[in-house]
Amino acid sequence: MSTAEFEQSVVALEQEFSVPAQQGPVELEARDLSVWFNSRKVLEGVNLAFPKNTVTALIGPSGCGKSTFIRTLNRLHELLPGAALAGEVLYEGEDIYGPTKDPVHIRLSIGMVFQKPNPFPSMTIRGNVLSGLKLSGMKRSNHDEIVEQTLISAGLWNEVKDRLGHAAGELSGGQQQRLVIARALAVQPHVLLMDEPCSALDPASTLKIEETIRELSKDITIVIVTHNMQQAVRVADYTAFFLAAENEPGRVIEQGRTTEIFGNPQDQRTLDYVNGRFG
Amino acid sequence: MTTTFDPASLPSLEQQTKTRPWRQRTTKFDVSVAIAVAVPMMIVIGMFLFSDIPGALVLVIYLPLQMFASGCAAVATKGKRGILDSVIIVNAVGASIFTFVIIFSVLWSLVSKGLKALSIPFLTQNSTYISPSTPLEYGGMAHAALGTLIVVAISALIAVPIGIATAIYITEVRGKAVPYVRFFVQSMSGVPSVVAGLFILTTLILTGAINTSAFAGGLAYAVLMLPTVARTAEEVLRLVPDDLRTGALALGSTRARTVLQVVLPAAKTGIVTAIILGIARVIGETAPLLMTSGKNDATVANPFSDPISTLPVSIFENVAQPYPDAVTRAWGAALILMVLVAILFTVARLLGRNKIK
Repeated sequence: MSTAEFEQSVVALEQEFSVPAQQGPVELEARDLSVWFNSRKVLEGVNLAFPKNTVTALIGPSGCGKSTFIRTLNRLHELLPGAALAGEVLYEGEDIYGPTKDPVHIRLSIGMVFQKPNPFPSMTIRGNVLSGLKLSGMKRSNHDEIVEQTLISAGLWNEVKDRLGHAAGELSGGQQQRLVIARALAVQPHVLLMDEPCSALDPASTLKIEETIRELSKDITIVIVTHNMQQAVRVADYTAFFLAAENEPGRVIEQGRTTEIFGNPQDQRTLDYVNGRFG
Repeated sequence: MTTTFDPASLPSLEQQTKTRPWRQRTTKFDVSVAIAVAVPMMIVIGMFLFSDIPGALVLVIYLPLQMFASGCAAVATKGKRGILDSVIIVNAVGASIFTFVIIFSVLWSLVSKGLKALSIPFLTQNSTYISPSTPLEYGGMAHAALGTLIVVAISALIAVPIGIATAIYITEVRGKAVPYVRFFVQSMSGVPSVVAGLFILTTLILTGAINTSAFAGGLAYAVLMLPTVARTAEEVLRLVPDDLRTGALALGSTRARTVLQVVLPAAKTGIVTAIILGIARVIGETAPLLMTSGKNDATVANPFSDPISTLPVSIFENVAQPYPDAVTRAWGAALILMVLVAILFTVARLLGRNKIK
């Protein structure tokens, strides 16, 4: 069998057995997005679409603009001094930076989990889980159920079920991170942005979070920044590779199905990066 | 090849005893320290007993002498690098003892002289029909204590909300006027207290807008309290990590809810400190009250109608009288003021404690 024949049969197999390249409608999409801090351009011409109920991993070396990009997706970027951008971010077909859009509503539908756990120190564990409801003015009656469900989803329930009234600060770093994931889930976002959510976690907690991500992706769209290649392979349907050359803004070098990015990348730089040859 | 843990291969762990190797001291060290303490002490005592050098001067000589002796001991035990250590330690201990002695002597004179005035009538009666020459058995400071409480409460009611709002504007709203607001708040903290009193006197009392009363005194105190509360609250709000604000906003919170439900609760103990410092700034101020709330021998509960006596003003009046009983009354009032401050601060701390444990 020649190489060409082999490739043909691979393509045929893939078409037969794998999911189509585009699963359902696109929920969130960045179009020609460029981002600045003061006069420094940190991202240029990013075009990325996130299909509904899928997991997309953003990979790339430090300082290539992944975190900046993810923060533009729910309008947290604009809180930093000197922030500016061009292009648009479409959520359910409408630009979230449109003149009539309220960032508070956007952030309610597009939740976020940060790299460093940030539970509210003045609240109990239970209070932290429910804080999103309180802060966004949502009215829900089944508080106990929400607390239990979200903590189970975040893989924390068994560890804290007997001390829900304790201060969140007494949890370990990994537990705090799972607590803030539960907190983000309690407001039932449609999209969840995760900025290296597992960088402070031990392998067991990481695995729990990854299971949670897979489970959640049945109902919500997830965008996750990660430096852990195996994690991207394990959880993500799609992967986008970001890279910034020296003194140049970050760009998306390659994007596509995770299996493609890791198994058959088209760009030499992607190949080098996913094989750990730089970055 | 790796090594694994095998309990059998270890010597029996029961034989290990707990030690604190970092506390081990050599005889040389003990002797050096003993000499470094004893010799300067003996020299000073000797000078005190057997020479004409005044006692105060001997005390001034003691510190450098002790520093030199400790330095020698340090060289003997640790070598040259011990000198700086010993000098700093001797200075720190000396300075803290000095501070402690001063604070203690102030407290002691207050308690020893104030206690003579204290009695049940002194705590419960007012000064109606009392002249400076009236013996101590008659009359009391209850009206002045009440007056101080009313005036401070009014000023806190005005200055604390405005001060915290100012701090929120500076740290949370971050509007365009922040540099100017900060500049004026800083300038305000330099206003002499007598000017605050004059300000209220000329703008509100002399124009007939309000009476000489507890309310006027409270306004003058508020002018003084505001910058302290605002600046301290600003500092503590600045200490709240930005992560918490971003985290709250990412949950779909408005900025107002973020401030009220996340930032302020996180800074709660600090905010209480700001209020305490604000009250501490004003509670003993006399000058502004002389012009705004005046004095009154009777007990006044209405903060708007009449002049009202306060503890600082009562102290000021009594201490200058040529009658020993009046002076003792002033000390008694000062003691009440101090105890009042202690109670207020304890209550504030208890209220400001974090409930979740």
